[in-house]
Amino acid sequence: MTIKEIEEILAIFHASGVHEMEVQRGENRLRLRRGPTEREWMESAVPATPSAPAAPTSPPPAKPAAPDPNETLVKSPIVGTYYDCPKPEAPPFVKVGDRVEAGQVLCIIESMKLMNEIEAEISGVVAAKLVENGRPVEYGEALFAIRR
Amino acid sequence: MPFDIDSARARLPGRRIEWYSSVGSTMLEAARMAREGCASGTLVGAEQQTAGMGRHGRAWHSEPGAGLYVSFVLRPTMDASRLPLLMLAMGLAAREAIVKTTGLSTDLRWPNDVLINGKKCAGILAQMDGGGTVIAGIGINVSHIAFAPELADTATSLKLEGARASREDLLVTLAPSVDEFMARAAAQPSVVLDLFTHASSYVLDRRVSVDQDGGFLSGVTCGLDASGFLRLRQDSGLEVTILAGGVRPV
Repeated sequence: MTIKEIEEILAIFHASGVHEMEVQRGENRLRLRRGPTEREWMESAVPATPSAPAAPTSPPPAKPAAPDPNETLVKSPIVGTYYDCPKPEAPPFVKVGDRVEAGQVLCIIESMKLMNEIEAEISGVVAAKLVENGRPVEYGEALFAIRR
Repeated sequence: MPFDIDSARARLPGRRIEWYSSVGSTMLEAARMAREGCASGTLVGAEQQTAGMGRHGRAWHSEPGAGLYVSFVLRPTMDASRLPLLMLAMGLAAREAIVKTTGLSTDLRWPNDVLINGKKCAGILAQMDGGGTVIAGIGINVSHIAFAPELADTATSLKLEGARASREDLLVTLAPSVDEFMARAAAQPSVVLDLFTHASSYVLDRRVSVDQDGGFLSGVTCGLDASGFLRLRQDSGLEVTILAGGVRPV
């Protein structure tokens, strides 16, 4: 994983407002997590605006890198709770590094017992999972990065 | 007595109804028909579901012939931001069908469980695909005379509550109610919010716990927001918005 790639990942992490993110490319794996506080957990049930990012595990870039043109972000069409597996204890729909086809289900967003199956819009490889299982997501929030 | 599908079809003209003696899940059958392009309002029902679906992988208990187990294919035209309201509307539709058919007093537990004397007699689950088609599954306990021990304290049926209701009458009342409340959710969202608030003892000043991400939030309910999400004031004074999760009385 190059410094430029790490900068790109940090840019996605900062822009998304997500709590935790894990990216694997080849043998390199990068895990980023914002420092949780009790208040942050208390507010997690609220469709919250992105909180100020905590210190990342790598130095931040001098300026945000441009989005990778080969990557497409899959965004949530609805406010709800993110589930990365069909039921508790089940394996996730997809893992970082998996090959996915257009139309393949990537996750479920639950909004008042309305289960939204979020599908890949393009075929490619899951470059990043941007949301932690069980956390609330906003309308338009980035859920996955898919690399063509 | 087997469900009289011919009678139901005759009383619901213009609506496609597929009926099975036994099926894995009406949800999966309805989803298959939706992919094949069936019209909005198409209905799939079964005497028995061998793999009835509840929320997030839970099973829905489907005793053969004792309940109304149906799934509607809905193609809502409303903006995605209003779709959660559709779930409140489905609860109102199920409640209306039960009240009109039996005259029983009901309660609604957010977002759409129908309760009688504090016990659940109808449950709703919906799935939306990438094209915006919603499959709304509605299960109503009609003539159960007992439930498994793990459900006995929380589930009831119309019969256990003293009502003799025919499943055909329930369906014939339910189908137009689903159409009506879906239209209201699109055109009159504030009306749906008001109707739900008045019909439910869970929306205001109710002490509840809500399961969230492996834990529980406790507090007192303080209304619905504009999207229909439940507001909860925790004991710390912090107000949170509940997007999903099982709400239970404390």
